[in-house]
Amino acid sequence: MHNDAEGLDNPRGQEVIRIKDLSFQYKAQKGEKALDDLTLDISKGQFVVIMGPSRAGKSTLANCLNGLIPNFMKGKYEGEINVLGKNPAKEKVGTMAKDIGLVFQDFESQLFSTNTKLEIVFGPENFNMPRAEMQKIIARILQVVNLAGMEDRQPSTLSGGQKQRLAIGSVLAIQPKIVCMDEPTTDLDPIGKLGIFQIAKELHEDKDLTLIIIEHETEEALEADRIVVINDGKIVRDGKPQTVLREVEYFESLGLMPLQVPKYFNRLGVAQADLPLNPAAGMAKFRELGLVIEAGKYGELVQKDAEREQSYGDPIITLRGLEHTYANGNKALKGINLEIRDGEFIAILGHNGSGKTTLVKHFNGLLKPTSGEVIVNGKETKQHTIFEIGKGIGYVFQNPDHQIFSDTVYAEVAFSPKLRGFSSEEIDHRVKEALKAVDMEGYEQEDPFSLTKGERQRIAVASVLSAQPKIIILDEPTTGLDFKEQRQMMELIKKLNESGHTIIIVTHTMWVVAEYAHKVAVIKDGLMTMYGRTRDVFKEDEKLVESFLKPPHIVTLSNYLGKTSLSVDEFLYCTQRNAEKR
Amino acid sequence: MDMFLYMDKDTYMHRLDPRTKTFMMLGSFAIIAMFYTLTPLMVISALVILYGASGKTLPNLKRIRVVLMMIGLFSLVIWSFAKPGATPVLGPISWEGIIYGVAMAIKIDTMIIAGMIFLSSTKMEEIPVGWVRLKIPYRVAFAFSTALRLVPTIVGTSYIITQAQESRGLDLQSGNLLVRAKKYIPLLIPVFVSVIRGTNVFAMALESKGFGYSDKRSNYLETGYNKADIILLTVLVLLLALSIYLKITTKL
Repeated sequence: MHNDAEGLDNPRGQEVIRIKDLSFQYKAQKGEKALDDLTLDISKGQFVVIMGPSRAGKSTLANCLNGLIPNFMKGKYEGEINVLGKNPAKEKVGTMAKDIGLVFQDFESQLFSTNTKLEIVFGPENFNMPRAEMQKIIARILQVVNLAGMEDRQPSTLSGGQKQRLAIGSVLAIQPKIVCMDEPTTDLDPIGKLGIFQIAKELHEDKDLTLIIIEHETEEALEADRIVVINDGKIVRDGKPQTVLREVEYFESLGLMPLQVPKYFNRLGVAQADLPLNPAAGMAKFRELGLVIEAGKYGELVQKDAEREQSYGDPIITLRGLEHTYANGNKALKGINLEIRDGEFIAILGHNGSGKTTLVKHFNGLLKPTSGEVIVNGKETKQHTIFEIGKGIGYVFQNPDHQIFSDTVYAEVAFSPKLRGFSSEEIDHRVKEALKAVDMEGYEQEDPFSLTKGERQRIAVASVLSAQPKIIILDEPTTGLDFKEQRQMMELIKKLNESGHTIIIVTHTMWVVAEYAHKVAVIKDGLMTMYGRTRDVFKEDEKLVESFLKPPHIVTLSNYLGKTSLSVDEFLYCTQRNAEKR
Repeated sequence: MDMFLYMDKDTYMHRLDPRTKTFMMLGSFAIIAMFYTLTPLMVISALVILYGASGKTLPNLKRIRVVLMMIGLFSLVIWSFAKPGATPVLGPISWEGIIYGVAMAIKIDTMIIAGMIFLSSTKMEEIPVGWVRLKIPYRVAFAFSTALRLVPTIVGTSYIITQAQESRGLDLQSGNLLVRAKKYIPLLIPVFVSVIRGTNVFAMALESKGFGYSDKRSNYLETGYNKADIILLTVLVLLLALSIYLKITTKL
């Protein structure tokens, strides 16, 4: 095992967490273990980021720290943990909560109070804090998590980023010595993510607070003191971010997303120790190596974009002056004009609550315009039912668990064609084809609920595909998946697009948009603020940030050079290597 | 979408002790339960509505107007047929039956309105605070207020799930009752699964914030009986006494 934890500022005797030979096996697990003989020490004041592919054991580890495992979730538990002198396995979770606070990914289920203030004091109340002190705590926490002025707001009216910040605040209010966040940014837009990491950075200035964040956003992990990579319940890397994040090939082999800038220079043959990590350092290296972008090759890319646009068919979705006002008077869309043509692959971007989901729900008639019109496959949606419009357009919802209900994968995928009244042979044929398209052949008789999130997501896609709609809408198809699963999902969607389906995706994952979408529409506060070819939209770094979006590192780096590349491969393709020294 | 029943307003009623509001609700229930005839029920109903208006809680009734109307209509129809009387109107329907139906409609609707006034003016967090002072165990009171909290969450989730299944071609508008009932299976299963998963995270979050750390718990919300509480409780006791007296002495 590669381990340079020695190189860290890891003063002996300052450990706040000591884990020795920890193994855990969930009741449902046979053979494999969620954690396998894991040993880890974390010192006071450290900011540790834990990374790893899906099901590596990251959340299991977090839940062991405050005793949710084995007290709340049962299973076979071996080994020993010591958190600030206590053994979480032997204490009540409530007791551990005083020392270690846990924040979860799902902020919707974590918040339950009538207003922000009461949410923050729930923890302190449990620990019998006097009221006068609580008032001081509220004021302080609101500052820390940047929610000042929102004390009387109902949590459900906050944006996603604000909700997660409130969840963090409600844990900080207990004043724990260790805070552990389990994928806190997964459901957030890029700027919401940044807000969380900003808080993490500020918290880290308190040298007594130990911070552990489980995260798969590699770009944000740069700020940490230490990165621990877990795979199959074991620690496989442990060291400073600057060291660990340079291991581009190792990250790829694990199915984790490597940083794009070092990946680019790795492909150019730069030695590992010399790899720059961020766009600014990348720019310096680019100059140092005397690299240039070949205008001709870049021209080819732009030319290809234009040719692709020529190949589109007739307009298939047309929006004219689309407005939508909800029953409570909230105007979510304020006049949107858009035309989507047959064969396009368009990404709808926007911050949490921008109105992008409201927009796409108009495409299949789930919502009807309160003003303006929407024409889909030649049908005015106001004149037709969802059932009719739905024949030509499928919609995969964000959470596969919101639609899966059958005992078997076969029945789930057959549901839609059955409702559409096809013969049983036709249904059989369609199910086979749909499962083949999502690469899930042979799973027909499996119970969909026992599959992984990535697999359930694929079943959800198959169950829409089986109706053979011309247009497919996918809402956040990659959220909650690890990098490898995200790649698989996007390759699948790309294949569908190439076989003739028009694709509309709603997403926050910016690299996915950069690499896969042909066109981009940015929605901000109910208006379409940017629209065009992906390359043209991503050229405007600053304007994206205004819409609370942030382009991937490789795009930023190429923007410095004035030649917007959308992926590492594109950038490599345009790089003239004659001047480089190996 | 706002699905919480609580209305965040600054009225004397919102500032009442949660115990007072609980007693007001239970007292209304008791008085309503005593009477079966139109006149007293109309008087009680007017009082309850007056009480609700004084706390600016009545706009919330708009949200349950369909329920209120359906119950009223059902009661009227059923009792008109079921209650025989001396004055026939049409076929088996008698004038007495109609009056009784109206009375029952008012009775049930007024109870619902009294409950609604309580929920519109009482923060979820106040319920356990008040009830603990009435010697109800904290966990029981908290479970009750959590159940209330879950309602909007479940409604929100079912809304998304309905949309997801409608997008797949589930047509909930057509078919006879049996066919339609079967159509709800694709809605119910995902709702249950999602709620159970959500509740699990909720429970973990509760534990992680020290829920159940000790029986001694402090409260941020300040409660206590004030002048308004005393006046209202006195009025309630008098009304209860009057009702009992009327119930015993007259045949209302």
